[in-house]
Amino acid sequence: MRKNLILASLLSIACVGCESSTNTASNTPPTNPAAASSDAKSSGKVSTFTLAWSEYPSWSVFGVADEIGLLNKEAGKQGELEKKWNVDVVLKGVDYDTCLQMYGSNTADAVCITNMDTLGPAMDRASVAILPTSTSVGADACIAVGIDDLDGLKGKATRGLERSVSQYAFERILVKKGLDPKDFPFTNMDPGAAASALQTGDSSVQSIMVWNPFVMQTLRDQPKSKKLFDSSEIPEEIIDMVVVGKDSLAKEGGKQFASCLVETFYAINARMSDPKTSDKTLVAIGANFSSLGLEDMKQVVQQTRFYQSPEDALKLLTSDEFRNKTMPAVVDFCVAQKIVKEKPSIGFDSADSQINFDTSFLKAQASGAK
Amino acid sequence: MIRRPIPRWLVVLLGILGVCTLLAVYGGLSYRQSAINPKQKVIPGLQAFRDGVSRMTEPQGTDESPKPSMLVTDLRATYWRLFLGMGLGVLLSVVVGIAMGSYRWIAAPLAPTISFLAKIPPTAMLPIYFVLVGSDQTMFTTMVALGIFFTMAQSVYQSITNDVRDEAIDKAYTLGASDPEIIYEVIWKQILPPILDNIRLQIGPAMIFLLAAEMLVGGEGIGYRIRMESRVLNMSIVYIYLGILGFTGLLGDWSLLWLRKKLCPWYDR
Repeated sequence: MRKNLILASLLSIACVGCESSTNTASNTPPTNPAAASSDAKSSGKVSTFTLAWSEYPSWSVFGVADEIGLLNKEAGKQGELEKKWNVDVVLKGVDYDTCLQMYGSNTADAVCITNMDTLGPAMDRASVAILPTSTSVGADACIAVGIDDLDGLKGKATRGLERSVSQYAFERILVKKGLDPKDFPFTNMDPGAAASALQTGDSSVQSIMVWNPFVMQTLRDQPKSKKLFDSSEIPEEIIDMVVVGKDSLAKEGGKQFASCLVETFYAINARMSDPKTSDKTLVAIGANFSSLGLEDMKQVVQQTRFYQSPEDALKLLTSDEFRNKTMPAVVDFCVAQKIVKEKPSIGFDSADSQINFDTSFLKAQASGAK
Repeated sequence: MIRRPIPRWLVVLLGILGVCTLLAVYGGLSYRQSAINPKQKVIPGLQAFRDGVSRMTEPQGTDESPKPSMLVTDLRATYWRLFLGMGLGVLLSVVVGIAMGSYRWIAAPLAPTISFLAKIPPTAMLPIYFVLVGSDQTMFTTMVALGIFFTMAQSVYQSITNDVRDEAIDKAYTLGASDPEIIYEVIWKQILPPILDNIRLQIGPAMIFLLAAEMLVGGEGIGYRIRMESRVLNMSIVYIYLGILGFTGLLGDWSLLWLRKKLCPWYDR
């Protein structure tokens, strides 16, 4: 009896060791996404891929896609577009930090992440950015109570999440205004906690740098609050995007997976721009983003500007500003803040870079849509 | 057979075996993760741990204004908050608990409120703490102190009503003892061991409250570091911090057990 018990526990340990999340590539994947589709159909094998997403306007799109049947978040079940591309997309809706951890630990094949936060995981897992989804144009803001302007803010602590887009935006905007970030101390506090501290009138918190929905909430619920500046001063610097691990992309069906995500995103965008379905889609996204209603969502999509078409996205990724100014500035910030030890290599359609902005899926989508 | 004694050497051997199994399972998992991604940091190997240790112990700041290393700063912040919070909480709960156990007119108004508040997890009350005590050092101390106060005051009160018998108090009165004398000679001496046990049991919860608060607010401390480093998957640092937490918990346990043996040798007989 006792021997059986020991045997059983040994077996259970062994099972943990042999469990594998996804199947491995057996042949070299095709290079052209369009060709890949027909290729996979002929082989008849369905590969499973995981996307980790958190609640954010342009990422909650994937939650909506599940609700209206374009994707099916569960393993073993396929939505409309999953069938078209012959992949099984598993959607994991979790906290943003958990998303980063899942991606970094290879538990997720793809992740919804900002351009800045990609640097850390990309040091250990070569990453391919396939789809910029939106950019912050006011969705990150510095809000204060009892401080009227930047002169008054000097020397006073601003609370926000350290080493995040909040701190990046804070310092970048100050520099752009010709000020020295050293004069403006930034101390760590969870954005949710910082917002509630400012709303409840905690005397030790006078200024916060947070993102939406906290920006909207705070400005609405704390009548004494004043917005000092926001990310509309640095448009197209904070980019929300979808990133796939290079290893996952190289697996059998990896390219179909990427194409499927790209098509899903634009399918929802099409519904947002069509006047007939626009409001309904916004409400559905709002239900997946802090339960915001239609009016709030209309404001949110102003402050979080979607890249509504592949052409929009390509315009960003091919712009000189983004390639030669924004990304190097982001890298410099991350090195200065010790988020990464050394600079990762960043490339555009160059497969060997640690972070590769790959436009092929967007181009395929653009030519397919026409 | 249940509770059949086993030889001492076997106890030691099996203990060592347990630790070795843990290490072997860890090694296996690390190996497996490295097979998926050779550069992984999630279940780091020895080299990554060495890097982590050197990052943690590297002195910060500049030559003109040197600052201690990350590890020293964090441990100092967290343990000072823990010590202050627990000290205050224990002191308060012992005073209130004894007062409640001694006088019915104190217990009657307090007992219902305290037993109700003892059931609410302090981590769920964080926003209330922000409003009441701000988000600085006071907040951490209050959080830990109040976090353990309600449960401890309740158990001190209960151990007086359950363990200190009426006969003992009556006898002391008959021998001419005053109220303060009875509280010290009869009640205090009898409930000291359960108080020490209670402090021991509260280290864990106090640590949870403190870390939860540190993960939300502040620029130093173990909770802060664990959140920041696990966000960028520097797990070598996170695991070392977790190990330190485990060891200090054990150390606290042992020292309180030792104190109990010293102060109340009669208790274990």
